[in-house]
Amino acid sequence: MTLDPIDYAVISQAIQAAADEAGTKLVKSAYTPILREAQDGSAAILDREGNVIAQADLIPMQLGGISATCKPCLERHPPETLKPGDFLMQNDPFQGGQHLQDVFIFTPVFVDGEVIAFSASVAHHLDLGGGAAGLNMDAPDVYAEGIRIPPSKWNWEEDWNGGKLEALLRLNVRVPDLTLGDFNAQFAANAIAENRLQQLAAKYGAAKITAAMSELLDYCERRMRAGIAAAPDGVYHGHAAIDDDGTSEEPVHIRCTVTIKGDELEVDFEGTDPQVATNINCPFASCLATALSCVKSVISAPDIPFNEGCKRPVTVKAPYGSILNPRPPAPVRARLLPAYRAYNAVMDALAKAVPAQVIAPGYDTTTSFCLAHLGEKGYSVYLEIFGGGYGAGAGNDGVDAVDSPLSNCSNTPVESLDADYDFFRVTGYALAPDSFGDGEHRGGAGFTRRYEILKDGVKLQTYADRHKLAPGGVFGGADGMSGRTRLFRGAEVITVPPKANLAFQKGDVIEISLGGGGGYGLPAKRQPAAREQDQANGMVSMVTASTQRIAAE
Amino acid sequence: MALRVGVEIGGTFTDLVAFRDGSVQVAKVPSTPASPDVGAFNAIAAAALDPADMADLGHGSTVATNAVLERKGARVAFVTTAGFRDILFLQRHTRRNIYDLHYKKPAPVVRRADCFEVSERVLSDGAIELPLDEASLTAQLLPALRQGRYDAIAICLLNAYANDTHERRVTALIQADMPEMFVTGSADVIREFREYERASTTTLAAFVQPVIDRYLSRIEQRLAEDRFAGRFTVMQSNGGRLPAAGMRRNAITALFSGPAAGVVGAVRQAERSGYKNLITFDMGGTSTDVCLVDNGQPATTPDTQIDGLPIRTPVLDIVSVGSGGGSIVWVDDGGMLRVGPESAGADPGPACYGKGGKRPTITDAQVIVGAVRPEGFLGGKMAIDADAAREAFQPVADHFGMTIEQAADAAIRLANNAVVRAIQLVSTERGRDPRDYALVPFGGGGPLHAARIAEELGITTLVVPPNPGVLSAYGLLASDFTKHDSLTRKLGTADAAREVPGVLAGLAKGLGNEFASLGLEGAPTFTFSADMRFVGQAFELPVPLPEDAASSLTEAALKQGFDQVHRQVYFQPADPHRAVEVVALRVAATLPAGELPTLAIARDTVQPAFDAALFDDGDWREGSLQDIASVAPGAALHGPLILAGPTSTTYIPGGWSAKLDTQDNLIVTKGA
Repeated sequence: MTLDPIDYAVISQAIQAAADEAGTKLVKSAYTPILREAQDGSAAILDREGNVIAQADLIPMQLGGISATCKPCLERHPPETLKPGDFLMQNDPFQGGQHLQDVFIFTPVFVDGEVIAFSASVAHHLDLGGGAAGLNMDAPDVYAEGIRIPPSKWNWEEDWNGGKLEALLRLNVRVPDLTLGDFNAQFAANAIAENRLQQLAAKYGAAKITAAMSELLDYCERRMRAGIAAAPDGVYHGHAAIDDDGTSEEPVHIRCTVTIKGDELEVDFEGTDPQVATNINCPFASCLATALSCVKSVISAPDIPFNEGCKRPVTVKAPYGSILNPRPPAPVRARLLPAYRAYNAVMDALAKAVPAQVIAPGYDTTTSFCLAHLGEKGYSVYLEIFGGGYGAGAGNDGVDAVDSPLSNCSNTPVESLDADYDFFRVTGYALAPDSFGDGEHRGGAGFTRRYEILKDGVKLQTYADRHKLAPGGVFGGADGMSGRTRLFRGAEVITVPPKANLAFQKGDVIEISLGGGGGYGLPAKRQPAAREQDQANGMVSMVTASTQRIAAE
Repeated sequence: MALRVGVEIGGTFTDLVAFRDGSVQVAKVPSTPASPDVGAFNAIAAAALDPADMADLGHGSTVATNAVLERKGARVAFVTTAGFRDILFLQRHTRRNIYDLHYKKPAPVVRRADCFEVSERVLSDGAIELPLDEASLTAQLLPALRQGRYDAIAICLLNAYANDTHERRVTALIQADMPEMFVTGSADVIREFREYERASTTTLAAFVQPVIDRYLSRIEQRLAEDRFAGRFTVMQSNGGRLPAAGMRRNAITALFSGPAAGVVGAVRQAERSGYKNLITFDMGGTSTDVCLVDNGQPATTPDTQIDGLPIRTPVLDIVSVGSGGGSIVWVDDGGMLRVGPESAGADPGPACYGKGGKRPTITDAQVIVGAVRPEGFLGGKMAIDADAAREAFQPVADHFGMTIEQAADAAIRLANNAVVRAIQLVSTERGRDPRDYALVPFGGGGPLHAARIAEELGITTLVVPPNPGVLSAYGLLASDFTKHDSLTRKLGTADAAREVPGVLAGLAKGLGNEFASLGLEGAPTFTFSADMRFVGQAFELPVPLPEDAASSLTEAALKQGFDQVHRQVYFQPADPHRAVEVVALRVAATLPAGELPTLAIARDTVQPAFDAALFDDGDWREGSLQDIASVAPGAALHGPLILAGPTSTTYIPGGWSAKLDTQDNLIVTKGA
């Protein structure tokens, strides 16, 4: 059917609004700090075939691969086999999922007995069992990381609301009340979007909704193709490396070839290192989301919504058995570490095609920091995700102290931590002067956080990267700084490896330092006023400032 | 009755409305952004009014808002707990556009160089973990503050919402050292947790306070010279007003006072005709503001933001969209029709103004479809170039293979849709059904678009106030005196039932004393509410509490109130097995401002009516254009019909009818 442009614009905005509303309610009705404060969750609307139509702009990593996560569910349970009250669920990294903590739930939207769409939500769950609370750095395989939920069909009344699935999960997770609360927040979010789509269908008829969804895909495809066509044809190579896999000192390399031909683009990660024994393997859905997020950010205007149409002109390949497409049962919990280097490698290749559109590598690392304590009332788990400084662009300094490009987690207010946890206290949270690369435009600054441990027996599980290999500057810009983690115990200062677990003593102080982004362009071209401002604000030390001045002269 | 005057300073124009002995006078002069008070007195002069005659002068301005947007406020120093100097820059660690590689964080109103620390630590239960280090404060902080030659100092210490002893002590030490300094402590602005949001609010308050203080001083001085002896009040963002002295202590509430005045004006005027459940809809040149009103009470929200910076202070829950008469109509590179957010503004303005604008706007679309007519626009005072409007729309029509009329109609429907979305945001997304409300359109464009927007939402009644273009200025005089206070206090429902009445009584007493100190007579009425959530959640639901909550409260009433709000917001009952807690308590004190002046339609001159064809709903339809001044109260009118007035045009589509009531409100209803 053909739609007039107004019905199309109105319906597509309403679909977007439904996704946004679902995303807001997911976060607002959540229980654990990782979802309610950090907002590590997302919501989307998919068509009957499982193509993403609209998404709440929350976490690019979770959203970019959501179709790939939904489709294995639909292969087993096609829409015509579903009835109202059913939902599809999965988290399996080897069947389209990402890491186990991200559980995806898809609710069919029925209109006149037919499924016309799915409302979807994903949340990072604080603890899903496995070998350690919240995060198990020692996991030798995916089984040690938590419960695997296959692409599967369930019914809310029969299986969830007091049913067997709910009971099974309750028994296998360490903070069951909070975790089930977060699952309920997902169901509530899905119900909102479902409700809104049904209202829309009641007004315009299901056929117009379906037609508008299909046109929205075409619209994003056209805009994406226009962006690709504007970039010069060619074959471009990119590279980036992870510090190490946590067991050796050797870097792990990620290589990619980006081929632009007309209005199509291919990303091939051929040449990337094989999968590793530790949890820094990146399932293919995550690899796909990474490559798409990078290509979309560079090639298209930020106002183009992200949907499956954006993906049509883009092909992503990664060799099976590599760190970007591992064989089971590889552990995958810290998938964002290789994913960020895949992001940097694609950006590195695109920098050769469209230099004015890229940014320098930023700190671009998820530093996952998990503290757990087993008290008389059970487990208390704290998990927070940290970014660092962004890379600089052709016309702007990198932004200071934000979450990295594939994620978008908030910090948890210190006053909220003070009220909710009695086994640690944040004693410092500050920007890190001198942590960014100089350049015509400087990288964004990193930051530091300090925690004082208030009880014996508190355990740390953490993963990070860029403690050795700092983000490089581009087009003459200087490198950003690497990060580090230090433990202050009495008079002793202990360097904590980026991928670690350890047990604290009461009185320990742990400090995480997140590095800054790389600079863009020659430092000599930097505006003196911008330099003076950084100096006045203490963002560069006097020594650094005078060195920079000499270099500039 | 004595002379009562409202003066509203907007970005482009300064509006004045004056009431004396049942007559209404309106004046409009250009604003004078460099010193806005000059514009206010120009308006008074243009209306030939003598301040010495005024009993009541209500004032609203964009001074505070502009000071923030242009970063032209005070030179502020920020003081916080050691270890946390950078909280204003760290913010919440997120980006608002996830795919924007060139993202910029909102810029705080304080430079990093002007942020200082004091050694101390209070915990979330108010316990003092580390005493305030007064020695280093005296030895290091005070000299640095003196040397910095600041206009104002903002203090926000960790957990000061739970115990502000240290914050008060720091304030006292600074004031003892620098008696002339404006010092703002976070606990005096808001007492709620989340340090970044509280620090942001406190610094914004400090940033605008000296600006507001100087501005109000200049006006008061000039008024004194002119022998003004009446009551001078200033509008707040919460929809109430305060005597000027109160506003100086509370400058943060001056932000966004303009849209709030319009809402209050609309509420008061609609109330006269018995309408209390309303959705107000103010469409101007660049944007549209909507607000939901339940039983005469505009909805409030505890947080808002300006230029990306959070503000935690209760404001009217007004949703703004970038869709107005001047919004540009365009086709993006994916072929989608778009309206706004770019606006042609006042200069060059829409193509039909003939001032050089070439790009099509919503006003041009209204000219093409025949709703805005050269003969009738703003009482015929403004020339309209219909050919220029058509020319501007030609490329849009060509792109979609439509006629110019169809393209214009499409643009209007899309602009309406943006407003429909905004109304859904304040109604359906908050669990309210728009069909239970009357739509009150005002501003230059509101009454032109209202009926079609109502149809989209299933709303069947419009209440169009007389003089819809000056409703904001009217709101300045029609608003009550209002002040809010709140306190974060985490309590389970059982403890809450015992403790909340005492806390509310204490907050109410403080507000009562504040009113008395401002010279406001009479006993204020109090409304109470609690922010509640399930234990473990981070976001609270605002739960209204019973009128007598300051004397007694039951656990059952608290739980029931929570359940009711939960159903509204999440479309499901609150899980009875999960524990619920109170997180913060709020009190609003209100004192009526006395008898209200009356708005009316000016009937001194009447333009003749004529037949006018209109393109609507896909076709040309026969209709007529009539001067609102010629409409007799009670006479039945039927669409399609355009009612032209001096400040606004009302469009009544076919299938709708209208009647002017005894209050000069035009009641427009769906159906013949």
